[in-house]
Amino acid sequence: MPKTPHYDAPSVMDQGSIWILVAAPSIWAAHFLVSYWVAAVYCAKSTTGALGGLMEPRWIAVWLGLACIAVIAWLGVIAVRRYGGVFVIFEEITESSERGRDKFIGHVALLLCVLSVVAIVFTIIPGLVFNEC
Amino acid sequence: MLSGCDGRHNWMAGAGEESAQVKTLFIVLMIGAGVIWSAVVGAAIYAHKRGAHPNLEREARQFVIWGGAVLPTVLVGALLVWGLIILRDITADDGDLTVRVDGERWWWRVIYETPEGDVITANEIRLPIGQRALFRLTADDVIHSFWVPALGGKMDMIPGRETTLTLTPQTLGSWGGLCAEFCGGAHALMRFDAIVMEPEAFDTWLAEQAEPAKLSADNPGFEVFQAEGCGACHTIRGTDAQGPVGPDLTHLASRDKLGAGMWDMTPTNMARWITDTHEMKPDIDMPPYPHLNGARLDTLVDFLMRLE
Ligand code: HEC
Ligand SMILES: [Cu+2]
Repeated sequence: MPKTPHYDAPSVMDQGSIWILVAAPSIWAAHFLVSYWVAAVYCAKSTTGALGGLMEPRWIAVWLGLACIAVIAWLGVIAVRRYGGVFVIFEEITESSERGRDKFIGHVALLLCVLSVVAIVFTIIPGLVFNEC
Repeated sequence: MLSGCDGRHNWMAGAGEESAQVKTLFIVLMIGAGVIWSAVVGAAIYAHKRGAHPNLEREARQFVIWGGAVLPTVLVGALLVWGLIILRDITADDGDLTVRVDGERWWWRVIYETPEGDVITANEIRLPIGQRALFRLTADDVIHSFWVPALGGKMDMIPGRETTLTLTPQTLGSWGGLCAEFCGGAHALMRFDAIVMEPEAFDTWLAEQAEPAKLSADNPGFEVFQAEGCGACHTIRGTDAQGPVGPDLTHLASRDKLGAGMWDMTPTNMARWITDTHEMKPDIDMPPYPHLNGARLDTLVDFLMRLE
């Protein structure tokens, strides 16, 4: 039995809302942008030119990245708990029901969470390898 | 025509530590790609031959998840780290010697940093074997790109910025260098030789390059040079000619090639360079001198060919 009746608009991150789908990729995009901006501003302001240090901005990208991954993990938990998302769907979802939709949304959201975490890790790696701008 | 195919410009020649690293990465990638491709195609053929097996669905899906998602993510991550480490190494900021190269349309200003001061030359780069040379690259007008494929990586030269690149040559010889970023009319004629020498021979060469030109002030060829206004653009150290626009000509004749790595350094090519400049190299900032001929031209060419 669906908790939310049809005529009630779903609240932001509640069952039935599709916001959970865009949340994780948006966090990834935001982390990418902020990391890029911070590094660019640091390098532009660095007095040592091209050989200026990336030592400080790299930690901003790392800690921000870990925070983002934590939030995405929490979204993943929501996708599993509230939406009943699973990694692999074995039976086809054919019914046009709240339950079927939720399960599908949960499944996609979960996969997007995994993708976003991988992407954030890949964004952080170059910052850890390079010491210079 | 396909200069990429002869040895001088071959990036697989492995004549430098940096190009050898890139070559290893390339070979590992190719072999890895071959293995993965064979495995995927093999699995597809096997699956096709065997037909559907509904009771193995779970295993099949696990196989797809591990083989199709987890493994590629891990492999791509590992390759990313490896590639980044190579990039970091070849753009490092230290070397046994430092060379500043400034990309101009369409030639190269080359400055060796030595304890005694800067040694300025152009259009030819000589390097001691086994030593790591740090290149600090800039551009004067538009974006150029500095590349000696046989020795190592390629790096853009950006106006208003300095980029770095290291080359550690491992094989003696004259390797081809070129501009790898389209920069206008004579872009394809913007080349240079990178000559790898024994360290002692390199030291002698560098000491010679540091010297001013050896010529007497009343040299008739130099008089033509000055009368024609060449000295407004070109520098010959030790003389009044101090023009900053074109390549330093102090030791012009010591270079293997004329016109930024293009033609053999011969009197015939030199005479043609002066009278038919734009036929040889279109669009360049140097004006042609078609009125120069006969004895005057010969004297000038003779003078230039003695700038060793
Ligand atoms: C307006 C400035 C200008 C004047 C005047 C000028 N040159 Fe040049 N010259 C250049 C530039 C710029 C180049 C580099 C062209 C290129 O390769 O793209 C050059 C290149 C050369 C080179 C080839 C250098 C090398 O490393 O291969 C020689 C030789 C040369 N000039 C000789 C002369 C002589 C001799 C005169 C006088 C008759 C003269 N130039 C007058 C600007 C000038
Ligand atoms: Cu160029």
